[in-house]
Amino acid sequence: MAARDLLIDHERGRLASPVQADLEGHLQSCPACADEAAASLALSRALEQRLPQHPAPIALKRRLATQWSGGSAPRRRVVSLRRLLIPGLATALLVLGLIAAGVFPWSSGRADPLALLASEAVNDHLRVLERARPLDVESGAIHQVRPWFAGKVDFAPAVSFPGDADFPLRGGTVERFLDRQAAVLVYARRLHTVSLLVFRADGLAGLAGITAHADAPEIRTVRGFHVALWRAGELGYALVSDVDSGELRALAPRFLPAR
Amino acid sequence: MWRWRQPEQEGLWAEALAHADALHNLARYLTGNAADAEDLVQETYTRALAAAHQFTPGTNLKAWLFRILRNTSASLYRRRRANPVVGGLDTVTPGREPRDGGDWLRGDLELDRLRSVVAEEIEKALMALSDEARTVVLLDLEGLSEAEIAQVMDCPAGTVKSRLARARAALRLRLRDYGS
Repeated sequence: MAARDLLIDHERGRLASPVQADLEGHLQSCPACADEAAASLALSRALEQRLPQHPAPIALKRRLATQWSGGSAPRRRVVSLRRLLIPGLATALLVLGLIAAGVFPWSSGRADPLALLASEAVNDHLRVLERARPLDVESGAIHQVRPWFAGKVDFAPAVSFPGDADFPLRGGTVERFLDRQAAVLVYARRLHTVSLLVFRADGLAGLAGITAHADAPEIRTVRGFHVALWRAGELGYALVSDVDSGELRALAPRFLPAR
Repeated sequence: MWRWRQPEQEGLWAEALAHADALHNLARYLTGNAADAEDLVQETYTRALAAAHQFTPGTNLKAWLFRILRNTSASLYRRRRANPVVGGLDTVTPGREPRDGGDWLRGDLELDRLRSVVAEEIEKALMALSDEARTVVLLDLEGLSEAEIAQVMDCPAGTVKSRLARARAALRLRLRDYGS
């Protein structure tokens, strides 16, 4: 094997001692290979020391921690991590685990990312139902509700359905959805409430690979509520109610932008 | 069947999460943008969770996660991304591949160039490589052995050696061009 073929292994210390000694002897006597070794080492140093690194953002790590602890996260398990990890990491995971335990009350078993999103959507829907005060903006006119979100969420909620006699628009509010904000538009269906959550879809594992569109949303049932989930461009949508899932499935395409 | 969620394996959970920075770094260089990189890493962990029973305790968890990330990247983003490859899978523009005794800058000139290269230049040079070449360079930087990189990339270790050598040669060539 040519000397230059051994240079990377030489830099990494992966050569057996006799081979390493032979190579170093050769580099002493061969200027061309010595130049090659120096250039290879300089490239390695440049990569190691000057190539920009892109560590995971804190928000992503938070989501990952909740994702891991979400499947079957008895609290004692999170606490016991302290014995296994360096204190800083353990403390961070403990905090995140406790957050997750409060936010994600799903049961054990294989994690279904869409189920996690559906569960959080139901939580938001319940907050809308249980709130003592009126909606933040109460109006039956979409052209009044949609502009109200300007400055309150960091995206423009693309919602075209203005409501009608079957699903009158009641108003809107802003709720927390996992690590981000969701614009919530509230419709009525007879005596039922239908919440449409609109949120940024980036970084949500459940939405990363799905092809669900408002024409054929993914349906999940959580604690008796049905949730229709879909993605349109950079935004995710969750339509939540205790009305029949078929009604949600029929309603979802009406939020598509006019063509 | 081994399960990740067994109480005695709690430490492995933490180890998997401890690789998030390295996974995100590779994802960032594979996707070219922050939003897709986050999606890719999160999807990687989701798939890892689902496939936890396939992980063999005692083997390299980091390499296993990298393999899932690479496969996930291929399935999620291959069609969406303009491939920056100029000259095929293994990196180098045809006709410009370095030859023995050929067109390298020799000695002090190239050394000076490599020693003064700035972050933006080396990042640009890396991004100009093919996905395969970029991946093998970054996995090598992460300290994975050739056998572990071969596991990630699903190819023989000898192929890793040649790909790494060619990728590094291509980097030197591009960095030389930036300096000229």
